[in-house]
Order: sequence, then C-alpha cells, then structure tokens
Amino acid sequence: MQQVWIPESLSLMEKLNILSDAAKYDVACTSSGVDRGNNGRGMGNAISAGICHSFSADGRCISLLKILFTNECIYNCRYCLNRVSNDVKRATFTPGEICDLVMGFYRRNYIEGLFLSSGILKNPNYTMELLYQTLHKLRREYHFGGYIHVKAIPGADGRLIEKTGYLADRMSVNLELPTAEGLKRLAPNKSRTKILTPMRQVQNRMEENQGELALYRHAPKFVPAGQSTQMIIGATPENDYQIVSVAEALYRNFQLKRVFYSAFVRVNEDSLLPALPGGPPLLREHRLYQADWLLRFYGFEAEELLSADRPNFNVLLDPKCDWALRHLEQFPVEVNKAEYRALLRVPGIGVRSAQRIVRARRMGGLGFADLKRMGVVLKRAIYFITCQGKTMYPIRLEEDYITRNLLSVKERLPLGLGQDVTYRQLSLFDDLHLPKGEGQEQRLA
Amino acid sequence: MEMTTVFQCEESLDGILTGVYDAWASRLGHKAVRLETEAQANLELFCRYRQVPADLEKAEKVLRTIRRRMGEEGEEAVCYAAACRDPRRADAIYRMIVLGLHLIDGREAVNCLQNEAVSLVMKLRMKAWHEAHQLMGFVRFEELENGVLYARVEPDCAALPLMAPHFADRYRQENWVIHDVGRRQLAIHPADRTWVLAEADVLDAAYLERRSPREEEFVRLWKSFCETIAIEERRNPRCQRGMLPLHFRTYMTEFH
Repeated sequence: MQQVWIPESLSLMEKLNILSDAAKYDVACTSSGVDRGNNGRGMGNAISAGICHSFSADGRCISLLKILFTNECIYNCRYCLNRVSNDVKRATFTPGEICDLVMGFYRRNYIEGLFLSSGILKNPNYTMELLYQTLHKLRREYHFGGYIHVKAIPGADGRLIEKTGYLADRMSVNLELPTAEGLKRLAPNKSRTKILTPMRQVQNRMEENQGELALYRHAPKFVPAGQSTQMIIGATPENDYQIVSVAEALYRNFQLKRVFYSAFVRVNEDSLLPALPGGPPLLREHRLYQADWLLRFYGFEAEELLSADRPNFNVLLDPKCDWALRHLEQFPVEVNKAEYRALLRVPGIGVRSAQRIVRARRMGGLGFADLKRMGVVLKRAIYFITCQGKTMYPIRLEEDYITRNLLSVKERLPLGLGQDVTYRQLSLFDDLHLPKGEGQEQRLA
Repeated sequence: MEMTTVFQCEESLDGILTGVYDAWASRLGHKAVRLETEAQANLELFCRYRQVPADLEKAEKVLRTIRRRMGEEGEEAVCYAAACRDPRRADAIYRMIVLGLHLIDGREAVNCLQNEAVSLVMKLRMKAWHEAHQLMGFVRFEELENGVLYARVEPDCAALPLMAPHFADRYRQENWVIHDVGRRQLAIHPADRTWVLAEADVLDAAYLERRSPREEEFVRLWKSFCETIAIEERRNPRCQRGMLPLHFRTYMTEFH
C-alpha cells in the first residue's frame, strides 16, 4: 500500500483543501426535500425547495459543505482519484473539526448544511462509525438544525446505518456505474449486491418510519428528505436506454428521490478507462437529466423515450420534442380541453405552465396570447396545440416540416454547452433518421 | 372625454394599499381612477392628480379584506408584487382586487391569468419571490466584534421583509442585521425576539468595521473551499454568471 505520511499537524485549511477537492466529483449538492423549523435550542432550519448558496466556476450549485471525512481508502476503483494505488496527499478530519467548520460556515450563511462522504478507512464499519459520531456531535452537542446529507457506506453494519439515518436528512449510496458488469470492471472491490443492500435497508426503514410517524407525530424521523444515488456516465459502454431503464427501476423499486448523473472526468491514467478527447460528455449528461425529469414529473416511461433499436438520445432535440415528433398522431392537443397529463406532453409546456393553464381555463377560454403570458414556449408549442380549435398559424402536421422548424428554434442549453450542437449540425440527418447506436462519446467529440 | 383621477401613492406596500383604499372610497368608479406610484412623475393632460400619503390603518384594512376574500395566495401575491419596482404594479394590484371582490370566490382571482392585471401581478410576484429566494442563499453575514451578524444587500425589489422571517427562524438565537444599502433600510433581529424594520442611519459606521477574531479565518476557509470544489474540466463561467448574476456578487465573500 502506497501512502504519503502526513503529519498530524495538518492545518484545518490544508485538510479542507484536500478533502473538498476529493469530494468535488460527487454530484448531489441539493438541500431539498424537508421542511423543518428551528429546534429552539440551536441554529438552523430547512426549507423543502432547497437553497443554493453560491455557484462555483463550473456553474454547479454550492449548497452544502461538500467534504470527505477522509480520503484514505482501502479500495482501488479505477475511476477514483483516491484509490489506494494513487500517490495523493491524504488527510482525515476529526468530528470536532467538521462541526467547527459547519457551524462557522452556517452562521455566516455560506452553506445550507453538510454533505459528508468518505473514503474507506480500515473497513466499512469503522468508517461508518466515524460518520455517525460526526453527525451525533453536530446534532446533539451543537444542536445543528440545518441540512445533512450523508453517505451510507456499502458493507457497513445495518444498525450503524440505521442510527446514522436518524440524524441525517438525506442518505445516499452511490451506484457508481450503471450496470453490474461495469462495476466489476472498474471497481473490483465493490459489487452490485453490496451497494443495493444498504439502499434497500434505508428504503425499508423509511417505510416503517412512515407508519411510526402516522401513529406518533413526534416519533424520530428517519431520512426525512429521502434517498438518492448517482452514477458515472461515459466511463463504461452502456447506452442511454440502459441508463434510463436503470434509473426508472431505481425510482420504482427503491423509491429513490433522485438519481444523479455525473459525466465521467478522467482523473486517472488507466488502460481500462476511455479517453475523452472532447472533455466530459456534458451534453449527454444534460439529455439524461432532461429524461430523468420526464420520468419523475411528466409521467413518461423509459420505454417511451428510447428502445433497443434507438438506444441513444438525439443530440439535436430534447427528449420530449423527440418523443412528440414520433407521436404526431396524439397531436394537436386542444389547450382548453385536454387533460393535464396530455398538456404535460406538449413540447414547450412545462409543469408550471400546465398547472397555470388548468387553473386559468376554469375562469374562461384561453388564447395564444394568454399562453404566452403564462410562460408557454410558443415557438415550440405551436406545432402541437390548438386554442378553441385553431392553430396559431396554418401548420402541417408532418414530421419533417415540424422537425425543420423546431431545429431552427435554438434550444436553451445550459449556458456554454451550445457549441457542441452547432458543431454537429452538419450531420443533422444522420442524427435524426439513422441512429446507428454509435457511442455517445464519439458523437460528442 | 371623461376625466381620470390619478391616485399617486407611495412606493411601499402600505402606500399602495392606502392608494387602493382611497381610490375605492372615492366612489369615482373603477374606470375613472388610476393608481400610480410617486416615481412616475410624467403628468398627463385631462387627469386630476391626488397625492395619497401612506396610512397604516387604511392599508391594514385593505390587507385584511384581501386575506378574507382572496385567501392567503391572493395576499401573498399582492405583498410580493408590491415589493417590485415596476411602475404598473399599483394599478395592476388595484384591478386584481376589484376582480377578486367581484368574483363569487375571490380566491380564484389569482388563477385568472387571462386578465392582464392579474397576469402582471402574478408575474411580479414570481419575480420578487425569486429574488428573495436567491438572496436567502446569497446573503453573507460577517461576525462583528460583539458577536452580531451583519450583512449587506442591494436587491432590485424591496426584499428585506420577504426574507427576514426566514433568517429570524434560522438564526433565532442570534443578533443579526441585514442592511439594504440602496433603500437605506435595516432588518434588525435581536436574539429570541421578533425582527423589525428600521432606517439605516441608526448604524454606526465605525462599529461595523470591527470584526470578531475568527472572522478572517472563516473567510479564508470559505474562499478556498469555493475554489477547490469546482471541476476544472467542466469550467463554465457563462453558466456561473447565468445562475449567479454579477450584481449579487458585490457583497459576497467568495468574490472578493
């Protein structure tokens, strides 16, 4: 085991630098899912919408103090910077230091709470115990009432995970890679079963807890903001269809609150890792998040978005437009009459505007000008809707015609992601009509 | 041509609500009145102008009526929309209240987005809510020598009353002050008591200069954290600017 010896005198600043740097590839920096007022003894509350406190230079939200307890690790996962065979500076916090940081930051409104993950120090139980002690100190000694997201360490004792869950708002176990084969290849010390065991345990305990809370309102709450997970995209050859199906299964079978996708960043030189000359597959990650939204809020199923013959998302069109174009027989939809679920499926109408439409039309008929005011993106929606039986302009309900028009409307990609799309416009018809199932990384290159 | 009477009210929520009260009580008819806030100094021909000084009692009466007849959602919409700067807001609020009191169920008024006034009020409500929500995250407190937490903001809408309740709960046991620099207003929260609004001239500048001994250390730790947490391969300052516009950064620790 190769390790750099670090003197115990490492300053708080040095530890924070090492252990936040090591935690940055974790995605889930959200602070949502729980409403809790001040506990009357200490500082802190939580609001269910979550609050972003800052944005880092990569445009990602900073909501929680995202750190590892330690970056020492006995495992050797090929994609991970902290794998045992890497020669990196190692550091370990003490529970007291973490509490000091959290309270100091929280008091100045820098953060919404703590995101605590860890490398595996000695063994899973030992590590989980340290995480538990940290949370215990923070909640019971400092009476911290803010948000806490903690990792459940696969392989740790169930009782330890349970104890920790009563102190946290959200727990997560990283799925790491979308399929068991990928995991075997890149994370030889981890297995799918080992990862799913704590996930199932947290789920079961949450369900029991729901029952307890129904009986006794003041029963202690177990992971009230629910469970999440994340997987790395583009390190292994899975296609989008496989990934979305895995996500769907997780939502259905494990009642997860969120599945996060993280575009693979190549931090280690390793022959088993793909080279990504075009940088991390960010557009692909974006498409997966769009699809994820469709699964969770728009009533779509994975099967509707992709299939074994069309296993990857269209680079040029968002998944909803893409779906609508393949289902023109369901359009146009009459805005003044259509069911809420049908409205949700119209490109350009989001959850918020669909709700506004449903509430407003009870008070009187709606025209296109009204829709525009309600936040409907007419540039996209006009091909799919009628108001009082009329379309806005004379429109042909033909796939090619609408596709051409939709493509001329610039999609609002996360700022800075746009370049990939314009670059790819040369092979537009390949992408639209002849999906060959090529690797996404290649498409984005 | 009929003469329109313009009620010129003060910029604040109380000012606007007093305007609503007076315009209604004038019995001139809804079509013959218009509400404006003071900032609009463009006088028109064929208009009579009436200055309306804010009156807390009248404002409270109007707000009570809104709550009773238009529900919590209606009340919230009016309060948030009034916090915006938009010069059309006073009249839109008046029209929405007229509609709300006219409907059998006034709580439906907020849903009538076909109505231009309602649509504007709801849009402004969203705008103010969004800014207040952003500020809940972007406000940065500094710890003064005596342990008081002090923050400065310069929001577009009058956000202090919208976000103070959040911080009053979060830092219930703390003494804190949030200073709206542009409006020269303070939200002051003494530990374990209710927060109040005050004029900024009660602050002593010299007293604000003295920081607590650990302040500098936490500032350094936080700045360093914000740098290391970014992934170089995903660097995207445009996206960062979109999510956290520059005007918020004036008083944010990590951008100095």
